[in-house]
Amino acid sequence: MSKPKVVLVGNPNVGKSVLFHNLTGVYATVSNYPGTTVEVARGVGRIGTQEFEVIDTPGMYALMPISEEERVARNIILEENPSVILQVIDAKNLARMLDLTLQLVEAGLPLILVLNMMDELRALGTRINIGILEKRLRIPVVPVIATDGEGMDLLQQRILDYVGKS
Amino acid sequence: MSGSLEMKTPLQDTGGSALDRAVEQIEGLLAGRYVLSKRAIARLLLQDDEQIREMVKVRDARAYEQVERIVVAARQSYSDPLDYVIAMRRQQEINDLLQDVVEPAGARKSSFAETLSRWTMNPATGIPILLLVVYLGLYKFVGQFGAGTLVDFLESHLFDRHINPFLIEVVGKLTSQPALRDLFVGEYGVFTLGLRYAVGIILPIVAVFFLMFSVIEDVGYLPRLALLIDRLFKRIGLSGRAVIPMVLGLGCDTMATMVTRTLPTRRERFIATMLLALAVPCSAQLGVILALLHGHRLALAVWAGVIIAVFLFVGYLASKLLPGTPPMFYMEVPPLRLPKISNILIKTYTRVVWYLKEIVPIFLVASVLIWIGQETGIFAWCINLLKYPVRLMGLPPEAASVFLLGFFRRDYGAAGLYDLNDAGVLTGVQLVVASVALTLFLPCIAQLLMNIKERGIKTGLLISGITLLFSFGVAFSLNAVLQAVGAVL
Repeated sequence: MSKPKVVLVGNPNVGKSVLFHNLTGVYATVSNYPGTTVEVARGVGRIGTQEFEVIDTPGMYALMPISEEERVARNIILEENPSVILQVIDAKNLARMLDLTLQLVEAGLPLILVLNMMDELRALGTRINIGILEKRLRIPVVPVIATDGEGMDLLQQRILDYVGKS
Repeated sequence: MSGSLEMKTPLQDTGGSALDRAVEQIEGLLAGRYVLSKRAIARLLLQDDEQIREMVKVRDARAYEQVERIVVAARQSYSDPLDYVIAMRRQQEINDLLQDVVEPAGARKSSFAETLSRWTMNPATGIPILLLVVYLGLYKFVGQFGAGTLVDFLESHLFDRHINPFLIEVVGKLTSQPALRDLFVGEYGVFTLGLRYAVGIILPIVAVFFLMFSVIEDVGYLPRLALLIDRLFKRIGLSGRAVIPMVLGLGCDTMATMVTRTLPTRRERFIATMLLALAVPCSAQLGVILALLHGHRLALAVWAGVIIAVFLFVGYLASKLLPGTPPMFYMEVPPLRLPKISNILIKTYTRVVWYLKEIVPIFLVASVLIWIGQETGIFAWCINLLKYPVRLMGLPPEAASVFLLGFFRRDYGAAGLYDLNDAGVLTGVQLVVASVALTLFLPCIAQLLMNIKERGIKTGLLISGITLLFSFGVAFSLNAVLQAVGAVL
């Protein structure tokens, strides 16, 4: 049997590539402009004894694609049969980025919402109530700081929960 | 995912609006298997998603016509596009969902970074900042340091004094066949021309450019530049989004053409590809041209003015002539931050490696092709042919070979011009005319291939044809004007 797949999706510039690196240990170019992740990065990650394939997709804003990159990202969701989809968002722009979250939830996909850049959020003096958010969205929500690895343990646990189910 | 996993989401509408009824009706009609929930499929159909429509046509062939009727009827019951109606609703849901979730920030002090950030996006302060970035980054760092100091060291010292004489000697010992000698160490030899240009001239310039690009990318300047320049770019059929391929094009047009994929519409991609081919000089050309026109301030100004005018004019023309709607623009603006050295080094490194892998082989192949062309006489024939348009531009016939070289690598051509100037055969006016023609001239062979790969063979060739016509046309007119006013540059 092939390895369960973990697919990273989200707007550009939210730290998907860094998270991909954290999960796989393989470097993908870090960039804050749309374009460098046009090519899809794939790597293998391991949590405990469970191996899985990690796929980093080009940036997407909505389930309905406008650009070629978004089309690529959606095709990965449609065709690769992912066990878990991690939607990575910039916690500072929660309201704007939840738009895609709602679409993914509505589509019934196995989703984990990853709130990245929690350090920048804290620096702004803002707080997000993770408990309420999880209850209302009915999916796991995990706060992380991808650049220094904070929150990765919990995220890996949540991924295992899903992989175990499927 | 199994079909039974129809998640009940908190987003289900219970109201009886036309949209919800349409969604429910379509859901009821769909029987095929989809990765996405039927509700999501229904919404995407209502949003006019072509790929999903094709999918439904196949998987629910019998129900499709009825589905289509429901979609059309739903569309007619709203004055706004359904895409918009759905987006507005979702925004409402998000607002409800976030009640009590986000604790608002306290009074936030405006930091220096935020002030600077606002300055970069406000035209009154942003344009001076842009000019400063161009002057320091492009002119001083890439132009003077990269194309001046570094090239001087690598090319004049390392290659001309040490590597080339050594190789010429070694090859001379190995073979006495003149044709073979020419292949490796002749005027257009693989070593003496190909390797020297690739490593001695082009590499330092490109590496320095990528270093600068990585810095302005890492501090977060690019999205701000995109917002600043959005209004201007709208006039030429592009949006702020196109800033990234355009700025990257100043480094390598071939790479930038690939990055036009990030533009949302075919129309934008076409315009961007054409402008890259025509009026965006790559760092290698830029470096050589800056070095060439060094000391001729007026000539540099004329060159820059003509190139910018062509860029704006062609973009404006294309946006008027091409059918399609003007682009929408929306971009994240991450906070300004101090650059991370490790990020910059990795970004620069990966780009330089990409460039070397892609470009050095082409240089070497180009050298071989030129050698074949010379041995068979095709090259001489082509140069003779090119002498006519070259003469029309008021240039010495020797410049014809520069243009032919220019096709194999545009920067090759620029470097050839450099040699010609070193020999002292060009006047100021000729220098400007040649620089303009070469900047606008056919994309290098790598970019031509990329144009065809990204835009298709017809469009790729069309763009190249337009470029050819324009470069000679503009150079010809420029020469006529400069001669008429008796300009001395």
